[in-house]
Amino acid sequence: MMAPPSTNVTRRRPTASDGDGYARDVAAFDRMYQDNVDRMYRFAQRLCGQEDDAKDLVQETFLNAFRGLKDFRGEAQPSTWLYTIAVRACTRMRRRRKGEPERELSLEEFIPTSEGEFRLQIPTEGLSPEEALEHKQLRHNLLQAIQKLPKKYRLVLVLRDMEGLSAQEVGAIMGLNERAVKSRLHRARLFVRRELSAKGLGQQPAPKRAAVKE
Amino acid sequence: MSGSRKTVQQQDQAAGGRHGHSKAQCLQILRRLSAYVDDELTDSLCGEIRKHLGACPNCEEFVESLRQTVGLCRHNHVRSLSAHDKSRLRLSILKAAASA
Repeated sequence: MMAPPSTNVTRRRPTASDGDGYARDVAAFDRMYQDNVDRMYRFAQRLCGQEDDAKDLVQETFLNAFRGLKDFRGEAQPSTWLYTIAVRACTRMRRRRKGEPERELSLEEFIPTSEGEFRLQIPTEGLSPEEALEHKQLRHNLLQAIQKLPKKYRLVLVLRDMEGLSAQEVGAIMGLNERAVKSRLHRARLFVRRELSAKGLGQQPAPKRAAVKE
Repeated sequence: MSGSRKTVQQQDQAAGGRHGHSKAQCLQILRRLSAYVDDELTDSLCGEIRKHLGACPNCEEFVESLRQTVGLCRHNHVRSLSAHDKSRLRLSILKAAASA
């Protein structure tokens, strides 16, 4: 896989006035766009939480892909290449918007210290994940927990547990070895689990079971 | 991390209903739980954790809640982009690419 295109592209790109070259680029772009836009929008939504931010990220990703298309030689799956571009674009976008320092998560902070922390606050025992997710509050809490994750952990959790990529693929996309991917994933899962426990939800009284729709 | 259920319960009671393990014991188990949930541990390590879980209801609940969390992440679906938005986004991208 080639490196994803940088934002400071200095070489000349074909434009509409270049005729055939531009038409070929657009045709290649269209194939990539049609095959991958749904996947990238899904990824962007999980990462950003907000629809508008997700659309911005998809736009930035495919724009950079268009610019780097001529150098993409197909050694990797186009989707893997696009994920790599999206991860970099997301990093830049978030840095521009917030500039918040990246918090490290230590294992020690996930050791439960009170009774309510051992289980999820909204019980899901006996339900399939799909059934549990019909519970609006649980869905909301899950999305909120993922958004609270520091970005470098969120990226790994979304790629591995939500997009279903292997640890090796996530490593290739993020420039990490497999061990580092697993370490970040573990902390990210523990973080989300804690957020869904009574501790994360501020020790509210247990609501009705997830199976009961509101 | 060893000991009978009774011992752990006694420890829990002594700790005022709180988790009765030492911090070091907790960390030792905690460190491996994702690998355990993902079935990536060797048989002996897996057996060690299972033995502990059988003796500690709190830890068993913790692992179950971690497993549920992973399941929720894996099955949480998001909306698709409408055909109109796909087409609008494509045009914006091509416009931006052409003007750069």
